[in-house]
Amino acid sequence: MAGHNHPSYLKIYITLVILFIVSVAGPEVAPAFGVFAKPIVLLTAFGIAIWKAYLVCAYFMHLKFEKIYAPYILLACFSLLFVFFFGTATDAMFANGHNWVKPVSEEAAVEEAKARSYVLHGSHDDHGEDQHDDSDGADHDDDHDSGDKEH
Amino acid sequence: MAEVAHAEVGHGDAHDDHHEQSFWSKYVFSTDHKIIGFQYMFTGMAMALIGGYFAYVFRMQLAFPGNSIPFWGTLSPAAYNSLVTNHGTIMIFWVAMPVLIAAMGNFLIPLMIGCDDMVFPRVNRLSYQIFLLSAIVLIISFFVPGGGFGGAWTAYPPLSAKAEYNSTPFGAPLWLIAVTLEIVAFLLGGINFITTTMNARAKGMKMYDIPMIVWMIVIASILFMCSVGPLIAGAVMLLFDQTLGTAFFDAAAGGDPVLWQHLFWFFGHPEVYVVLLPAFGIVGEITCTFARKKLFSYKLILYSTIGLGILSFFVWAHHQFISGVDPRATYLFTTTTLLISIPVAIIMFAYIATLYGGSIRFTTAMLFGLAFTGEFLLGGVTGIWLGSSGVDIYLHDTYFVLAHFHYTFVPIAIIATFAAVYYWFPKMFGRKMNETLGKFHFWGTIIPFNGIFIPLFILGAGGQHRRIYNYQHFPDLAGADMQDMRVFATISLIVMLAFQLVFIANFIISLKKGEKAGKNPWKANTLEWITESPPPHGNFGETMPTVYRGPYEYSVEGREQDYWPQNEKPESEPS
Repeated sequence: MAGHNHPSYLKIYITLVILFIVSVAGPEVAPAFGVFAKPIVLLTAFGIAIWKAYLVCAYFMHLKFEKIYAPYILLACFSLLFVFFFGTATDAMFANGHNWVKPVSEEAAVEEAKARSYVLHGSHDDHGEDQHDDSDGADHDDDHDSGDKEH
Repeated sequence: MAEVAHAEVGHGDAHDDHHEQSFWSKYVFSTDHKIIGFQYMFTGMAMALIGGYFAYVFRMQLAFPGNSIPFWGTLSPAAYNSLVTNHGTIMIFWVAMPVLIAAMGNFLIPLMIGCDDMVFPRVNRLSYQIFLLSAIVLIISFFVPGGGFGGAWTAYPPLSAKAEYNSTPFGAPLWLIAVTLEIVAFLLGGINFITTTMNARAKGMKMYDIPMIVWMIVIASILFMCSVGPLIAGAVMLLFDQTLGTAFFDAAAGGDPVLWQHLFWFFGHPEVYVVLLPAFGIVGEITCTFARKKLFSYKLILYSTIGLGILSFFVWAHHQFISGVDPRATYLFTTTTLLISIPVAIIMFAYIATLYGGSIRFTTAMLFGLAFTGEFLLGGVTGIWLGSSGVDIYLHDTYFVLAHFHYTFVPIAIIATFAAVYYWFPKMFGRKMNETLGKFHFWGTIIPFNGIFIPLFILGAGGQHRRIYNYQHFPDLAGADMQDMRVFATISLIVMLAFQLVFIANFIISLKKGEKAGKNPWKANTLEWITESPPPHGNFGETMPTVYRGPYEYSVEGREQDYWPQNEKPESEPS
């Protein structure tokens, strides 16, 4: 450990400050560049954020000088972030629920029940409201919507 | 790094400094890893008494609803919720975690890898202090207006997010704060375990010479580090929902309650393996020592454990099959859940194969170790049914899930812990525990344990839902046959709790009057057995051990003795 030559932390700090200025200024001036505005915002805001994060991890967190398993653990944690996003994407990215509520089968079931003259609810008008009550919080909005559509 | 670590240990808390210490500096503010291990162990055991008492109270309510309960009185529905919630919380976060990981890790890792202390002794002390604070916050939460948190140990919103639903306006935030503090404590401890094992091993100890329990605790610590982030984030968001009026999990205001379930279980499922792995490690050590056999396929077990750890991050949504997750996701999570049984099965088979052809000694520790293998198998096999989303739709939130969970968790947190205490007690305190009382305690624990949870499997398959205060309000569940099973389970619980008094008595008597153990009472190979019992400050005295072989060289052909300590020089090898 003692054998390593650490870089000047001040230099890293100044680099970070300059990058910070760029990352603030970039999105500010981006609209002037017309069609390039979006890539410029992405690059200056997020690209530079990644670079800054790398500098902090590598130098201030000493990962560049640690045994190799330390950065591996960090990378493993980081990759788990993507696992989490992947696992929740089907729910979180379709929070309105159109991806999993099955209006077709529900309607078919209602029709089938009607055909058997089996009274599901007091009146047709109550139907949407009842569905709303049965649903748990997650699909709240969507059920309401699908109920409305049926009307 | 290693040099720095050793220097820090040396300077940090003065191992050379052997003058008489006061009670406070020796036992309360100690930086010695063994004392910190004891602190964790005794705190965990004290919390286990509270958790066991809670279980007794709510089981009594279920068996004899509405009656006055001895040592409690009449149980109200709100108090019932609070007891169920805190029983789960305490047993997982304040019993299994501190005893299995923190106590065993602290006591065993430096001794087993042959170093004088943890590399960060003060971080270690801070870890216990934060843990103690978290336990105090949790206990305080039982006495605030409204009582302890009553939103179940998984704390699903909206129930947990709004005081008007869970009726515990102060208990709920205190519960969250306590859990968060507890997590901070174990992160600090985990950093120590990983760093110590990687950097401070005895001379000559290669990666494959590390005892399996040390590997298991290190891998568990890594799993814990990688999985708690979402839970801490979620806990803070939930705390804001409770106290500041945010709506991260409030569907009416655009939040998503299922998000909490994802955040919780992304931590919660690896957490199961975080406590399972040390238990596996304990049982592995005990099985080898008392079967006098080499651990069957060390490397396979190690790689299976790593595979288990990786896979454990891909299974969490199997807790949410009926929470409204995308049905396509359930295919994926069913598949990964069934896959994860493979590495677990490999480890179980390896332990059984270790027994084959061994010369088995049925000490109390070994009995508990064998019981772990058998009982955990039942828990694991029932998990395969629950992991299939189709079956889970029926069984979800029934007592079948509860019984499955307890068939995994009681072997982990209770049986493996007892195995460890009976096995390492001579090293911890210099005296052996009484074997006769120990066997009495063993059978008094294992038989009632099955008596509690086998009826619950049957009740759960019969549709008995969890988290119900009084089943007499449900005509389908109020039948005399079902009630009889509830009574049977409750009586079994009381018997099991009563037999723990035998353990406590044995523990206290053996501390004072137990048979002197000597350095190596079990004739085991690992490094903790070469030093004095109990080990002195600094562990190994003047010369630190050098390691020449793996930890499981039992019954090696051509040797007079059936064990071969890791530090014994090869020159003594017979030609």
